[in-house]
Amino acid sequence: MAEAPPPGSGAPITEDEALARLRQSDNQGDQYYAAWWLGRMRSQHPEAVPLLRQALAQRHQGVPGSGVEHNAVARNAARALGKLGASAEAAIPDLLITLDDEDDGLREAAARTLGELGCRDAAAVIARRLAPGPAVVGVRRADSPRLVEPCEAMLEALGAVGVNSPGILAVIEPFLSHERPLIRSAACRALLQLSRDPRWAEPLLELLRHPQLQVRRAALMDLGAVGWRPALKPIARTLAENSLKLIALRGLVENHPIELESAISTGAVLAVMDDLL
Amino acid sequence: MTTPPIPSLEALKEAVQQADSAETLLRAVAALAATADPAAADTLVDVLRFNNPGAAVAAVEGLIAIGTSAVPALLDLDASNYGARAWAVRALAGIGAVEGLGVLEEALATDVGPSVRRAAARGLGQLKLDTLVPDEGALTRERCLMALEAGATDGEWVVRYAVVVGLEALAQSAPAPAAQQAAIRERICTCLSRLTDAAQEDTPVVRLRATQALERLI
Repeated sequence: MAEAPPPGSGAPITEDEALARLRQSDNQGDQYYAAWWLGRMRSQHPEAVPLLRQALAQRHQGVPGSGVEHNAVARNAARALGKLGASAEAAIPDLLITLDDEDDGLREAAARTLGELGCRDAAAVIARRLAPGPAVVGVRRADSPRLVEPCEAMLEALGAVGVNSPGILAVIEPFLSHERPLIRSAACRALLQLSRDPRWAEPLLELLRHPQLQVRRAALMDLGAVGWRPALKPIARTLAENSLKLIALRGLVENHPIELESAISTGAVLAVMDDLL
Repeated sequence: MTTPPIPSLEALKEAVQQADSAETLLRAVAALAATADPAAADTLVDVLRFNNPGAAVAAVEGLIAIGTSAVPALLDLDASNYGARAWAVRALAGIGAVEGLGVLEEALATDVGPSVRRAAARGLGQLKLDTLVPDEGALTRERCLMALEAGATDGEWVVRYAVVVGLEALAQSAPAPAAQQAAIRERICTCLSRLTDAAQEDTPVVRLRATQALERLI
């Protein structure tokens, strides 16, 4: 979703134009597109990160029914920073503060980005927010179908930043019994990523056979993010689009820790990918 | 001992048209596909329009099993149904009939769907060139190679991955006269080398697959 361009703004622009659009503040639509563009193009321009940090601090009410989300510019700025790699490091303190923002959509974007940046400092903050457990922060908000905390993004970020401590694992585990399968999938993913204990893979392999396509897709992405090679055959058999299976299998190739032995070689994964093209 | 009667082709086609759930449709399509009977092609092509991925996968398998005689029905497909066209490209790629060349070239160069460009790239590497007289074979191979060389700069990693697989297959397809063969291999290897280079290719799995292809070709 973070990859999708904003509707109606497909014309190609230059990096200078993107920076100029982000610098002005009269037209939020232009800022929104510019922030997305800088992330998509992985801009390494020295002005990109400072401008995105400024944009991250902007707050705007969403317009109901217009499709413009709450704090749209700030959210896109947060997402874009996740694509910029090491050059986004200067923005990490802002992103850590954003994890405590009152807008849950912005907390979600910040959590995902800190996960992408592999920011270990984020683990403690996210764990603090999830610590009250699924019965408190994993329940539906009164005003929307969203949960009190963006649990899925936060759990995934905990897995991605890689702090494998008993305290972090203990925060994640209660979410394994969350009523929503996507949350359970995210919890398994994080535990598997941190501990590489095969018992957390079993529930994910089961979710590959879930009756809802959306859940099977999530489990595919989660196994790919972990690089869990024993899932090779179950992934190939899953009833889902080949495009998603290919992304998951790319994950098995690229995200499998090099230092770990595996009975399943890279060549074996590539051969399955070839068959799915 | 009695064996159950084998349903007629007409009954199998009827079952596909009458299916009232995703599950019965999938079963009916799989049964029809298993016949690999050229007379099933029209109905299997119809299934590509149903917007049911499970059934479409089974139909594509059936069409590939039917082979060349399914090509006319696939080429006739209504171009405005995007989903159906995407499945048809996949079927044409799997069949490898030279008649599909134009569709595959156009799909790789212009289709908005990465999954369609991906299938086309794979297909361009596995056309059955040995069915052609030598001159036509050389011309067709040249068109495949040009299309794949252009596809190597596609913006989507999965399309570039499929281009690698297509190039490897093209290098190993029916041999051309020795002089041409050497030149073609050199072009294929040049293109693959670029895709192994981290400065030019940012997706690790594409680089790995291109390296594997080069190792197999050299």
